[in-house]
Amino acid sequence: MALMKASAFNLRDKFGDWWDGANSAQRTVFRIVLIGIFYALPMLNNPIIDTPETSFSSVLFYPLIMFSLMAVGLNVVVGKSGILDLGYVAFFAIGAYTHAVLSIHTPLNFWEILPFAMAFAMLAGVILGLPALRLRGDYLAIITLGFGEIVRIVAVNTEAIGGAAGLTDIPGPTSILGIEFTVMDPRPYYWLTLTLLLLVIWGVIRLSHRKPGRAWEAIREDEDVAEFMGVATLKYKLWAFIIGGAVGGLAGAIYASQIRSIQPELFTLNLSIMILACVVFGGMGNIWGVILGAVILGYAPEKLRFLSDYRIIFFGLLMVVMMNIRPNGLMPRKKREHFQEKSK
Amino acid sequence: MDFSILISDFWSLGLDGLVVGAIYALISLGYTLVYGVLRLINFAHSEIFMIGTMAVYFVVLQFGFTGYEDPLPLIKFIGIFLLFATVAAIVSGGSAVLLEIVAYRRLRNMGASRLSSLISAIGASFFLVEVFRKISDSKNLDFPRLINKDPFFTVGTLYLSADKVLVLVGATIIFLILNRIINHTKLGMGIRAVSQDERTAILMGVNVNRIISYTFLLGGVLAGVGSAFYMVFYETTKANVGFLVGISAFTAAVLGGIGNVRGALVGSFALGLIQQYTSAVLGYNWRDVVTFVILVLVLLVKPTGLFGEALQKARV
Amino acid sequence: MSKKLLEVQDVLVNFGGVTALNKVNLHVSEGEIAALIGPNGAGKTTVFNIVTGYYTPTSGRVIVDGESVLGLRPYQIARKGLGRTFQNIRLFGDMTAAENVATAADSLNKSGLVGSLFGGPRSRRDEAASMEKAHELLRFIGLDHRALQMAKNLPYGDQRRLEIARALALNPKVLLLDEPAAGFNPQEKIELGELIRKIRDRGFAVLLIEHDMSLVMDISDRVSVLDFGQKIAEGTPVEIQKNQRVIDAYLGVAEDAS
Repeated sequence: MALMKASAFNLRDKFGDWWDGANSAQRTVFRIVLIGIFYALPMLNNPIIDTPETSFSSVLFYPLIMFSLMAVGLNVVVGKSGILDLGYVAFFAIGAYTHAVLSIHTPLNFWEILPFAMAFAMLAGVILGLPALRLRGDYLAIITLGFGEIVRIVAVNTEAIGGAAGLTDIPGPTSILGIEFTVMDPRPYYWLTLTLLLLVIWGVIRLSHRKPGRAWEAIREDEDVAEFMGVATLKYKLWAFIIGGAVGGLAGAIYASQIRSIQPELFTLNLSIMILACVVFGGMGNIWGVILGAVILGYAPEKLRFLSDYRIIFFGLLMVVMMNIRPNGLMPRKKREHFQEKSK
Repeated sequence: MDFSILISDFWSLGLDGLVVGAIYALISLGYTLVYGVLRLINFAHSEIFMIGTMAVYFVVLQFGFTGYEDPLPLIKFIGIFLLFATVAAIVSGGSAVLLEIVAYRRLRNMGASRLSSLISAIGASFFLVEVFRKISDSKNLDFPRLINKDPFFTVGTLYLSADKVLVLVGATIIFLILNRIINHTKLGMGIRAVSQDERTAILMGVNVNRIISYTFLLGGVLAGVGSAFYMVFYETTKANVGFLVGISAFTAAVLGGIGNVRGALVGSFALGLIQQYTSAVLGYNWRDVVTFVILVLVLLVKPTGLFGEALQKARV
Repeated sequence: MSKKLLEVQDVLVNFGGVTALNKVNLHVSEGEIAALIGPNGAGKTTVFNIVTGYYTPTSGRVIVDGESVLGLRPYQIARKGLGRTFQNIRLFGDMTAAENVATAADSLNKSGLVGSLFGGPRSRRDEAASMEKAHELLRFIGLDHRALQMAKNLPYGDQRRLEIARALALNPKVLLLDEPAAGFNPQEKIELGELIRKIRDRGFAVLLIEHDMSLVMDISDRVSVLDFGQKIAEGTPVEIQKNQRVIDAYLGVAEDAS
């Protein structure tokens, strides 16, 4: 175990050294090859990675890429800023319902609805966040937990959006760049989500390396001190919430457009907890870690049937075990420290 | 909105509110006591309650009751109920102690962040719910009717039945015992000392780990007794029964001022009444939304609750 | 008479019936090193928590550079010109030394989140300015070789100094130091004294809470003494050393404090 850990770290450090030493052309080639592999994944028909129950390409869409997208969004809130949001599913639900309702009742198509889905989720983030983010961590957690459940209860009790039966016959996206989005083929949805995920990653990394990223980290490390150092903590916590919400809303809209019918029961707390488990397992605050977490936790139950029946049991246990043994996750956020000789 | 039920059933709704409030109180005390010593909400406390209901259900299965028998005579029922309460108290109390060891202790001794402890407790909570979901096959587990619930005493629209009297009288006895434990025993003194100032308590020779264990035990025992009352009153349970009951009990604790024992009692009865009356007007489906709104409002407007200490800023 | 940069006027603080500060008056003037001393529990750190907006006084006023800051949030007060350090070091442990300082420097610019995302010229300029300021301050306190190390991995003395650099990044009118010499050996205390003088010479006024009397008497221009939430004396170091009330308050404490 210790040996494994050590060698994994070496691999990471070795990669880090190579990356630091690489010129921009090498880095670009690396990025293109890596991204190319991800786009090509649904084309692979490899029995080793194939999943027994569902086709691999549909597993790629849900849960793998969907979990990844949501985990990256939730990571801004939980990992970067240290705000425990247990109701993340609410944003996902709001995105899904926005697409469902607007696409059924208005002439807008999926692409026109996407901004609305994100905007409504962001608005929900503000409405929940403005009061709740003033509270301390554990209160905030219970408020968000309640919020996630309330959104579901409201959906069940509101006949205008289908009540408990939900909404069916939701239109999918209209074709774009010659790509058709059909009910049968999940691959275009995967490519779409992957593209959006890359954009989100780009944005999150950019923010992380600048003023907002420092503000979030400072809040996570010690909120009172961040405030003493001039950081407008409420504002940055709210932004983290809004960004996380927007990503959740985006994921929800894509999800609804793919599965074509949604019910409140799709949006239970379990989903919030699963995404949280991905973040915790992969490594809170490290974007690559949480994606790795999402991929492993999304894939394992699909590949190993005995796991899929006991998914939540396993996820819950994993959270306890990780916190006790490796609280920073599989791939902890880790800044590569550079030691310099004393200059004077 | 329809106020007719509220007006016609005002007194019986009030009675139900007190009964529900008494059950909430037994659970919310666990939140408040643990909060006092750890300065942390025990997210898995609702599952400690759930395990209690499961234990009671398991015991009743052993008796082979189907629910179609004639109601038991009062004395015999009380005897059986005492058995339920004892078993549930042992099982819930034991689970709470175990929970503290598995999910909290190591993290606390490592000096881990609050976030880690929260996540660990939430993981434990979901783990427990899902284990019991598997065991119960996601079913509602119905509890037989053991006692005649027909009202034996009626004044206007107020109907007094044996189960409600049992909950109210039983809970009152428990509160009196608890009062004694907290104010007049060494354990109670230890809990109060750690709640007020952990560092000084350590200096005074209090074994904090042990006090924390006992606090979880006490909270678990209370939740276990609460689960026995719950089963007699509601006659059903399921794996996720703890979630909404837990939110209600927690809201009650916050309403009264978390960390404050008297606050938990007052908050619970107040919440029980509020829930009954608002459900009568808005419909039962909105009960939990109302609870949640109350929780948010209290935390925003008066986070110290009715009796509590300032929560938002723990000591620097 | 030089300008008063920080004034505490008749501040009364009650915590649940206990009077932590009783009608305290203090001030810090331009270009001065003022010290605040007193036995443990006298209310010194409470003064810092009041002026930085963490607590609200029951009555009284706090004025920074002629402007009342009562009712402002701590971050707003910080931006108005109060930087502070902490009795128990409170750095952002998982951030590098440079990032710790840059976080405080960030609050002096108005770049927003959207600007940072799309990288407009202003945010780029502000970003460069924050990093430049961070490195400049690390050089100033002699930690430039530690810039890219995590704060939690720095040696104790460097952590204390990093806290000072971080507070300086706010361009404070008054720098509030809460027991900066705690845990230092005599040699380090002397270096700290020099650093504080250097800070004053750069144009920052300093308010110092400190138990080490030789350091306080050595560098302070003016000393105020708190005891049980009351200001019992104020004057030059020489005056304070002779003051009978101060000697009484410190009786038995004076030995181990030097």
